[in-house]
This record gives sequence, C-alpha cells and structure tokens, in this order.
Amino acid sequence: MIDVVDLTIPASADLVALARHTASTIAARANFDVEEVEDLRLAVDELCVSLVHDNDDGSLALRFVRDDDTVEVSCTHLAGPSGQLDDPEGFATDDLSQRILDALVDEHGQEDEGGRRRAWLRKRRVRQQA
Amino acid sequence: MQVEDRFSVSVGPDEGCTVVSVAGEVDVATAPELRNRLLEVISGDSPLLVVDLLDVTFIDSTALAVLIEALKQSDAKGAVMRIVASEPRILKVFSITGLTEIFAIRSSRQEAIAG
Repeated sequence: MIDVVDLTIPASADLVALARHTASTIAARANFDVEEVEDLRLAVDELCVSLVHDNDDGSLALRFVRDDDTVEVSCTHLAGPSGQLDDPEGFATDDLSQRILDALVDEHGQEDEGGRRRAWLRKRRVRQQA
Repeated sequence: MQVEDRFSVSVGPDEGCTVVSVAGEVDVATAPELRNRLLEVISGDSPLLVVDLLDVTFIDSTALAVLIEALKQSDAKGAVMRIVASEPRILKVFSITGLTEIFAIRSSRQEAIAG
C-alpha cells in the first residue's frame, strides 16, 4: 500500500517542526528503525531549511510518499502575497546541509520548477526489522 | 511536541567558567536565540565557555552554524569553547558534518571544565 501525504505550511521557521513530525510518522509506517526515523526527520528538516528565508510570506508544500520500504519527500517553496520570488541565480547551497543530506539519505536534489524552488530526497529502509 | 523538546537556554557560572545550558530542539526557529545568548557570553571575559548540549533532543545545520560562529568568536577573543554532548543522535550530526574535528566535545560537564 502506498501512502501519500501532502502538507502545506507557512514558510515560517517555527513551523518546520510540523514537517519533522510528519516525517517521523511516515518513517514509522515504512518500518524504519529508531535511527532511520531520526535520520529522516533531520533530512526533511534540512530540505525545509534550504527553502525558508527571512521575511518569507510564502509557504512550503511538502509531499511525503511511502511505497513499501522507501520514502520520498519533496518540498516546494510557493511565493506569498508579496510575490517575492526565489533567487533566480539559483539555490544558496549550504555546505553543512549538503553533508547532512549526503550522509542520511540515498538520493537528494534541488530543482527550479518555473521559478519555484523544489528540494527532494529519497530514503530506503536499510535495516531488517526483527 | 513533547515537553522535553521545548527549547530553553540558560547561562551560569561553574568553577571559573561560563556554562551555557541548552535543552530541547535547536533548529531554524530556536537557533537565533541560542546565537544571541552565546555571543552575549563571549563578549564577556570568561576564558572558558562550556556549551552543554546534554538535554538537547535535536540539532540541524542552523544549530551547527551558530556553534561554529561562537567558536570563531571565542577563538578571536583568545577564549576556549568546549561542547558537552553524549546522546548518540546528537554526536552523529557532529560526526557526519566533520565537526568532531573542529569542536572539543566532552561527554560530561566536569570533563569539559577540566579540559
């Protein structure tokens, strides 16, 4: 059975925790062990952090897809009423965030979809559950 | 959110050093407050700053960036900064980012104060 969960939150720093909590629930349904759940929580947090900026009146549209033992998460930044668009020059890559994602998930990336920034990751359960 | 995840930071003296005790989740929302408290402490004259993360339940890249900045500021003032952490999931974040090579991390406050 495939789970698809869509979560849209204001692009506000204090609401990124909602994305982490959703990640924990989805990871548990994929039978991730405790460490893998924590890994996914942090990885999803890093996706959101890469898209949130100061005075952001936009929102983050997250999609969590669990298919058996694999979880895919994408996070798209949607501009708010001010119409503030993301930096057309591209993503400001943060070295620490990249290192974290490299270590914790199987694949991750960033894309520009018609002026909207989108970050995504994919993580497969590694450890066999007893 | 569990009660134990709520962020807090307190500052106090301990055996001739200044200890910044942090609890809960340090993320993009709460890291700015930690930054302000750390920089406030560093602007003082304490030769040793101990950042106690034993009650921290979550850190991300924004938290690490704050700690790196604090370390640089401490170095610039000729002060020493050490971190106390023992929770495996917290130590893992330092490890995967290579920051165990940069920070002096001890598993207890006593060890951090002693050196």
